[in-house]
Amino acid sequence: MLKILIPTLFLLPTTWLTSSKWLWPTALTQSMLIALGSITWLNNTTDTGWTALNSYIGTDPLSTPLLVLSCWLLPLMLLASQNHLSSEPINRQRMYITLLATLQLFLILAFGATEMIMFYVMFEATLIPTLLVITRWGNQTERLNAGTYFLFYTLAGSLPLLVALLMLQNNTGTLSLLIIPYAKPLLLMPFGSKIWWAACMIAFLVKMPLYGMHLWLPKAHVEAPVAGSMVLAAVLLKLGGYGMMRLMIVLDPLSKEMVYPFIVLALWGVIMTGSICLRQTDLKSLIAYSSVSHMGLVAGGILIQTPWGFTGALILMIAHGLASSALFCLANTNYERTHSRTMLLARGLQIALPLMTTWWFIASLANLALPPLPNLMGELMILTSLFNWSAWTLILTGIGTLITAAYSLYMFLMSQRGPLPQHMLALPPSYTREHLLMALHLIPLLLIILKPALLWGWFAC
Amino acid sequence: MHPTTLMYTSSLLLMFAVLLYPLLVTFTSLPLNNDWASSHAKTAVKSAFLISLAPLSLFLSTGMEAVTSSWTWMVTTTLDITLSFKFDHYSIIFIPIALYVTWSILEFATWYMHSDPLMNRFFKYLLTFLVAMLILVSANNLFQLFIGWEGVGIMSFLLIGWWHGRADANTAALQAVLYNRVGDIGLILGMAWLATNVNSWDIQQMFILSKNLDMTLPLLGLILAATGKSAQFGLHPWLPAAMEGPTPVSALLHSSTMVVAGIFLLIRMSPLMENNQTALTLCLCLGALTTMFTATCALTQNDIKKIVAFSTSSQLGLMMVTIGLNQPQLAFLHICTHAFFKAMLFLCSGSVIHSLNDEQDIRKMGGLHHLAPFTSSCLTVGSLALTGTPFLAGFFSKDAIIEALNTSHVNAWALTLTLIATSFTAIYSLRVIFFVTMGTPRFLPLSPINENNPAVINPLKRLAWGSIFGGLLVMLNINLFKTPVLTMPAELKLAALAVSILGLLTALELATLTSKQFKVTPLRTPHHFSTSLGFVPAIIHRQIPQLSLLLGQKIASQMVDQTWLEKTGPKAIANATTPLASATSNMQQGLIKTYLTLFLMTLVLVTLISTT
Repeated sequence: MLKILIPTLFLLPTTWLTSSKWLWPTALTQSMLIALGSITWLNNTTDTGWTALNSYIGTDPLSTPLLVLSCWLLPLMLLASQNHLSSEPINRQRMYITLLATLQLFLILAFGATEMIMFYVMFEATLIPTLLVITRWGNQTERLNAGTYFLFYTLAGSLPLLVALLMLQNNTGTLSLLIIPYAKPLLLMPFGSKIWWAACMIAFLVKMPLYGMHLWLPKAHVEAPVAGSMVLAAVLLKLGGYGMMRLMIVLDPLSKEMVYPFIVLALWGVIMTGSICLRQTDLKSLIAYSSVSHMGLVAGGILIQTPWGFTGALILMIAHGLASSALFCLANTNYERTHSRTMLLARGLQIALPLMTTWWFIASLANLALPPLPNLMGELMILTSLFNWSAWTLILTGIGTLITAAYSLYMFLMSQRGPLPQHMLALPPSYTREHLLMALHLIPLLLIILKPALLWGWFAC
Repeated sequence: MHPTTLMYTSSLLLMFAVLLYPLLVTFTSLPLNNDWASSHAKTAVKSAFLISLAPLSLFLSTGMEAVTSSWTWMVTTTLDITLSFKFDHYSIIFIPIALYVTWSILEFATWYMHSDPLMNRFFKYLLTFLVAMLILVSANNLFQLFIGWEGVGIMSFLLIGWWHGRADANTAALQAVLYNRVGDIGLILGMAWLATNVNSWDIQQMFILSKNLDMTLPLLGLILAATGKSAQFGLHPWLPAAMEGPTPVSALLHSSTMVVAGIFLLIRMSPLMENNQTALTLCLCLGALTTMFTATCALTQNDIKKIVAFSTSSQLGLMMVTIGLNQPQLAFLHICTHAFFKAMLFLCSGSVIHSLNDEQDIRKMGGLHHLAPFTSSCLTVGSLALTGTPFLAGFFSKDAIIEALNTSHVNAWALTLTLIATSFTAIYSLRVIFFVTMGTPRFLPLSPINENNPAVINPLKRLAWGSIFGGLLVMLNINLFKTPVLTMPAELKLAALAVSILGLLTALELATLTSKQFKVTPLRTPHHFSTSLGFVPAIIHRQIPQLSLLLGQKIASQMVDQTWLEKTGPKAIANATTPLASATSNMQQGLIKTYLTLFLMTLVLVTLISTT
């Protein structure tokens, strides 16, 4: 754990001490080395599953994939931001890298925390760099509004969690993730326990986001610069899913009846946000809404609490993290060329940027869950476990997959196929940097096909 | 391992390797040769065909079947997925046929697409399409089958949308994927049910474990899947629309890949289905309806590719009827024979279209049997085989199916529909022959008619041999598990032929009516019904997208997201707190009286509260 944490911490001196010429290559190399180092976590050999640094930080099969994903994303964010920051003064560039590195530090500590309060603190701490990335580095004035939405939705959702955790600490005497599954369940008055259950869950459901509490997400995604969108889609949303999986164990007897409204909302959200995607004109907003729709499935999978549900949710979280981050990068390549997010203005790009079309195609296929991509494995597992819970859910999830296919391919057709419009005849070509960026997103996704068991959390055999 | 087993499985896996090799070559950074298409892709398919003959002959001589499991891919808590291939009598007979047909189609495509700058990419797609189909056919578990299933779906998206500058091609491609996706819901339903109740996706295990279960729900799912993939009634409009793709794509799509995948799935799953009357009846009625409806649509089409497309749809309906009769082997037989003549019909129409300078309307053809004799003869042979003319390929399967239908105890409605559809087959096949090859030319005088190219002649020749002898060969070598009823009244025995001839005669009579000007215009209403495809696209393609897009815009986006959720959430809090904040701040304007009054009031309040 330290061999990742310390280099991450040392990203800050690296950023400020290297000469301006070597700033980006050095930061990129160091973060890439960290990411490669973090892969060794996947080799989990202990019996309990926990590999602990001390009693506060450790990894287990559930957190490892998410940790690796958050380490993997930093070099990609740096690659993606390089172009749009090149016109900024050098110290602002350094500041930006510092922000991203701090975010990674908080994320590692959040996913690595074995103490719930520490998880909570880090969960909140990630808000700060993200807020700065959105409100300082966004492009339009609406970014301020988006920042407010982002901050207040998350804060308002997560403050009850603090109270709930303190109550739990008072009653059971521990908040350690290693011990708490064995502690005796918290017994409260019937009504009080329901409120407590909700307090524990709402924070994460807002973060996921569950349909109905998702307004901050499209706004934040649309206004954030590319690195912000990437990390939001790929990792920050997954904090919600991760937290839910962790807390679900504690909430056990209550969850059985409490989850109904949330599952209904999640599955209904899959359809509603999917159909919003069908009418989107704004590329980034489309990808953001598609995230809401996929995270609805994840929420459903977690809430029914079966092994398949958890496993599927974890796989889908990782796979969706890579796929949607890839889509945001692709949207950014369009944005850097046309300076507009409007889909109507960037069409027929296959003729201008043929290799980009390949990336678009693979990323769209990943988004619509083509077998044997891990996205499909995750969706299939969640669908199966939901079907097992109630056969009727298949109507909602089935329509959901249909709509997902429709808007993913609509996005692909709109942006890549057809004749090239007149105003786009003088596009800069695609850079190797962009291809590398896409390859680093999609190759891990393809490699996971060969060994999906890495992402199976507790239930890997 | 026994040497014959070793040879059997290793040659089949070698066949996959040979097919994958040209695809892997394209990953090198060197630019591809211009003749990669013919030197690598076509050769690979050809050699794969030759390789696949070895296990076929082993199967024919010893009746050997095999399952190869190589690699445990995933182990979840309860369910294992291995990478395993099933080489049973279905896949071992189907694979050589698919490769033979594809080989011809690829060779034809080297001629048809020769002016396309991206021909190599086109061949790469075709090859991937074929590999996906072979994965589907030889898969031993549902997950692997699903890979092939979606693989053919997504490759068809690319291939149908090949000329993506045209909006129609893009729409058709999207249509194909969406209709298939509806079917996928069914397949996912089946898989979810089986994973929950049978706890296995492995084909043999499923058969054994599901003996005592009520399989209606998963079977309905599988039938829905087949309906989508095989374009049965309700989910059929994508198939004629798929004609937007290049002709070799249509040939491949319609003969041995993609559309037969749905039927193949049901054939594979037939042991689950044989005792479930609900599922069987549903298949029977669905198939009968499809075959009748699409045959009706084929009657009045003028686009040569559309007619052939609808005839495919109609034949798929017939296969579905056969599944409904609980005769999966006959359905399989029909898939095999159908592959030959359907591929040939498409290649012939491709050749004709190319010769007449991209003219697809059969009214503007005619007299081609003088100008392109070989293509015309092949077109005729193919149409005759499709009609079920005795001793051509179609006869062996079609006649067997209709005999089985006639001698079974199924409902007469399905039987009648199928018989009418059979006679319609004769009508539209005759119509194609009549308009394209017979009579006088009706096209522009300077058409580049030339069929003297080995890349045209050879594929057609090979497929013509297949259409003539393929049925006989397959019929001689397949062992039917169910003994067919062999004794029946002469009327029933001759029913298939009789209705075909009757259809032919009626068509000729009707043709004379118009050509002799006894009756110049057709009856309007049935004609409109047939030309506008039963009004199905007009209704479905407008209503459903409109409704769902309206839902997306008006309800999901504008009403819920932008109004209710905003107004009751963040905006409500802002609206509630702003007046409070402004009231407090407005009070503080430096007036000492206000401050003193407030101080006094607070003091009084505190005293009151503290005393009580």
